[in-house]
Amino acid sequence: MSKRAYATGDVLFETTLLPTGRARVAQFSQATEDPNPIHVDDAFAARAGFKTVLQQGPMTTAQFARLLSDVVGAPALRVLDVTFTAPVYPEDSLTLRAEVTATSPRLACALSARKSDGTETARGIAELEVG
Amino acid sequence: MKMSMQGHVYPPYRLTPDRMRAREFMAALGIDVEPAMPPPTYLVFLRGETLGVNLFADLDIPREKALHGGQRYEWFAPVTFDDAFDVTVTVDKMVEKTGKRGMVWFADVTFDYRFAGTDRLAVREVTRLVKQS
Repeated sequence: MSKRAYATGDVLFETTLLPTGRARVAQFSQATEDPNPIHVDDAFAARAGFKTVLQQGPMTTAQFARLLSDVVGAPALRVLDVTFTAPVYPEDSLTLRAEVTATSPRLACALSARKSDGTETARGIAELEVG
Repeated sequence: MKMSMQGHVYPPYRLTPDRMRAREFMAALGIDVEPAMPPPTYLVFLRGETLGVNLFADLDIPREKALHGGQRYEWFAPVTFDDAFDVTVTVDKMVEKTGKRGMVWFADVTFDYRFAGTDRLAVREVTRLVKQS
């Protein structure tokens, strides 16, 4: 798909991810060499003020990168900037969305991640070199 | 947060993408494939912790008070499994603010991943760490 095929307001993706589950959250910690017990230890998470273990913010970043790559190809990624705005738990499903905000000089997108109740858990921008 | 760390630059460490870890990374995302190249965000600040960049300890952020505020990636060149990287870490900006529940501290830390033995930048990651009081 060429750069000219996109227009402001186009939705590159709006994808609902099923709950990650604790096993994959633990696997992500292992894959990223993250020793933080807050992702695997309920008692520790409780001491930090959370109801259960937390899903990693970088997992949301990684899912945005994967979904953008699926649409435009990984070599097109230039910038991905994600702010984490609310905790995500392993039992949460998330809807990730990317909407085109500009087509020049790069394709730019606004990103959001929301839980099924509408809570925003992340927002950000991406810049892509396509066409 | 140890505000005197602002501007601190760590000695570089070397990092080589690992195929098994990359596969595990994708599996954790729910994708069961052997990736042909490292996933875009495979290069992540967390890998520095066992290589001399223990930000939580060095910035005085107890893990039970830590939040992750966000990440910014910039990609400058393709990354393959045959590449190795010299990683330079800089504690860029540290800010303290008074929030509804007391003091909150923010630190932006930049990880520059350069192709090993060169000045050529492949990836820049800025991670935003937050400490609650």
